[in-house]
Amino acid sequence: MLTQVFSGGLTVPVPTAAPERNGVDVMITEEAAITALPEDDFRVEPLVDQGDSVEQGAPVLRSRRHHVLLVTAPMPGRVASIELGPGHRLSSIRFFLEPEAGRREVDTHLANRGDDPGALRDLLLGTGLWRFFRARPFGQVPLPTEHPSAIFVMAVDTRPRAPSPREAISGRAEAFERGLHALLRMTEGPVFLCQDGGRPVLEGVVPDRLRPVSVAATHPWGLAGLQIHRLCPAEVGTPVWDIHAEDVAAIGSLLETGRVPETRLVSIAGPALRQAREVRCQPGADLRELCHGIVAPGPHTIVSGSALDGREAHWLRHRDRQVTVLGGKPKRRAPHWFLSALETASRPKPLIPTAALDQALGGDLPAAPFLRALTSGDTETFRRLGGLSFVEEDLALADYITGAAPSLRACLSALLHRIAVEEAA
Amino acid sequence: MIRGLWDRETVAILFLVALLPLAATWLSHAGWAGAIRLLFFLLVAGIWHLVFMLARAQPPSFAGAITALALAMLVPGDLGVVPTLLGTSFGVVIAELAFGGWGRNVLNPATVTLAFLGFGFPAAPWPDMIVPVGWAAVPVAVIGVFIGILSLRILTGAGLTFGIGMALGLDLADVWTAVAVGLVLLVCDPVASASTQLGRWLNGALFGALVALFVAHWTEAAPVQIVVSAALIASLAAPLLDEAAIALWLARRRRRLG
Repeated sequence: MLTQVFSGGLTVPVPTAAPERNGVDVMITEEAAITALPEDDFRVEPLVDQGDSVEQGAPVLRSRRHHVLLVTAPMPGRVASIELGPGHRLSSIRFFLEPEAGRREVDTHLANRGDDPGALRDLLLGTGLWRFFRARPFGQVPLPTEHPSAIFVMAVDTRPRAPSPREAISGRAEAFERGLHALLRMTEGPVFLCQDGGRPVLEGVVPDRLRPVSVAATHPWGLAGLQIHRLCPAEVGTPVWDIHAEDVAAIGSLLETGRVPETRLVSIAGPALRQAREVRCQPGADLRELCHGIVAPGPHTIVSGSALDGREAHWLRHRDRQVTVLGGKPKRRAPHWFLSALETASRPKPLIPTAALDQALGGDLPAAPFLRALTSGDTETFRRLGGLSFVEEDLALADYITGAAPSLRACLSALLHRIAVEEAA
Repeated sequence: MIRGLWDRETVAILFLVALLPLAATWLSHAGWAGAIRLLFFLLVAGIWHLVFMLARAQPPSFAGAITALALAMLVPGDLGVVPTLLGTSFGVVIAELAFGGWGRNVLNPATVTLAFLGFGFPAAPWPDMIVPVGWAAVPVAVIGVFIGILSLRILTGAGLTFGIGMALGLDLADVWTAVAVGLVLLVCDPVASASTQLGRWLNGALFGALVALFVAHWTEAAPVQIVVSAALIASLAAPLLDEAAIALWLARRRRRLG
């Protein structure tokens, strides 16, 4: 309690049932899909056809903008469907599970040798692990040629009901360390290892440029954006990458075995469940199957991501590590036309600078001036206060707290888009 | 996917709830006359909110009730209906509604009304703040700080300056009730006060320093008048204090990050 008062941040209660038993099952769902949203603007060329049999880890899509960037199959199976939107933008590619299709093994000899940094990049690009990096400013998958000024490894996650990254990499210390060394080869700058206040995640000798950072246990301090803003702000020209600790371990395993790991740790929680659950499932798993048998009777909504920043989805989204099952929305009568007109007449709604608002951004950043700059579209102040380090998920808590309309996340994404266009010109 | 409740109206209602001890104590001492005054100000503020809703599509706010309570407590008594009406309308319209309603305003409408009436009718007698009303501000501050609507930094900043003033031999015995009421009703308004952490310290300290200055050198002023003037100037300076706090924050950050 006292540390919470002094560190800033909040704890968001999301009720959930207790798990029936402890322990983590491996659960590969019968179907899986790699999906993207129209706003991700991920233009792809399929490398396989509908009905083809693919190994786990075999390339299935290629980026049209950067031909070296590939997406690989999340599980051994058959391609069920490929849906592309306008402009070859990926909508979804679905797979049926067929374990006999096997796993792809790649040659990691060159990448392991360490004298050619390009080989490591090529390996990550070719196995799809590159997409687990996220570059700021703007929160996109980094360009294949980009050199980050720092990399943040998130071995902590303070989102409500998030699975513990510590548990995700437990028993894989060697792979994790190998992955960290690979990251050190990808940047000239520091690699920050963000962890909670407990026992250090990395035991033994800490390499030269690796900086362990102890992070408060309150949300939003366990988000990469807040840490980047605090320690190494991203700017145009000096991008900063972040990656989840489990994905670092995945890079380590890939370098060791030549195979992309099959599963990731996912927590399933929420108020509309009879029991919570933690499973290891493939990326893009079928959420309905994951929740099958544990959902309480009655209407419910399955959300990929946390209760704060998730989206209603059918498939586990890229980068998401939790599934939240919320109760169904009660049918609300449409408000009187006059009230709804009044409600929407003056947007954005004013934000009152209270203590809740300060804490929603961690308590360090001047929250009210920052959010005023954000909602009024003042790019200069926004950049001066370090706004380029943030992506949408970092403002989810502030959105939750203030009930802002339009949502602060929408304002942020519009402003970032505008800055990106201005910078490109 | 889930949504919290801290929008403008929730804050306004919670602020009103926090102010209940003050309102109840004041009403129990002011009696029916006080109740009628409160009703009058509620009516005037409410009508203006309604006018702006119909003419400018601005949602009315419970913040109008906070303004009405502050005015009922602090407006000079024997002013007459028309001057009070004019002053209230000026404050509510020019200081709040013309900017787009509570949350977009720069100054507290009650402060502006009181300053306007103070300048316009210097001979009008300011009301006395009795001791129980002053004490009733304490639970308001406690509740307000606990739910995060009033800033502890402003209150502490002001308290520290008073402490220094008293150590230097200043006599605050006559004004402390008015100061306590003014602090929770006017100075700590989350919208009209500074919104950065350092800015809030400075905001409170500036208010305290101004009150001390007025007490020492403005001998003919009434306690409420002193508080209102200090609150007005402190509130006007709030954006400047915020800018200073942000500049300092940026400088510190630049030094730390190299």
